[in-house]
Amino acid sequence: MSATASFLARRAAQKERVRILYRRALKDTLNWAVHRHLFYEDADRLRERFEANKHVEDLETVERMIADGEATYNKWRHPDPYIVPWAPGGTKFTRNPTPPSGIFIEKERKI
Amino acid sequence: MQRITSSALRHVRLQAPERGWSIPKDSFGLNRVSLLMYMSTVSNHDQVLEQVIKLVKEFDTIDASKVTEKADFQKDLNLDSLDRVELVMAIEQQFSIEIPDEKADKLTCCADVANYIISEADKKDAEKS
Repeated sequence: MSATASFLARRAAQKERVRILYRRALKDTLNWAVHRHLFYEDADRLRERFEANKHVEDLETVERMIADGEATYNKWRHPDPYIVPWAPGGTKFTRNPTPPSGIFIEKERKI
Repeated sequence: MQRITSSALRHVRLQAPERGWSIPKDSFGLNRVSLLMYMSTVSNHDQVLEQVIKLVKEFDTIDASKVTEKADFQKDLNLDSLDRVELVMAIEQQFSIEIPDEKADKLTCCADVANYIISEADKKDAEKS
């Protein structure tokens, strides 16, 4: 019983790792793509690489594959990834903060 | 040919300042555009939800007729985990937001996504003020 439970737990953990790996790899694909139409093809190729091993059941093999995938991801990680402007590290992060409350700014009147 | 080009250019040059003037006058319209673009002061829940549903319907592996407010991505729309990753990424790009990895898995239906986007926008506003 506990063997099945631990099997399922490991399985779930692996699923989560694959999901996060795919998410990061997909984002990285967009970072590397110069144009969006190039990204679509690269994304399809990435998806195919994941789909190819969809039915692998053996835990150890899956473990090794994930480790391989993560190593490949780390090797090809983009040095200057896109960050949403308002997110930490983005170009607009903490830019132009709204003035503190209590300050009254008269809006421009319409001419 | 040269004459045609120069006359066309003059025409454009004449028009350009006119257009330039019309923008500051219509400051309300500009505000509205920036609001739509940046989603910085999102308050209208239905509007966001509508946009999310439209986006989900355009996703190629989803049967558009099945998409509703509460349809579960995994169970009702038959998306596997990788499809959901792609969908979340599409949403991120549409609304210019960054959804953290652990949060991305918990978004299960359109209403969820809309709520998340609005809560993020509110948080941003709260930080600002």
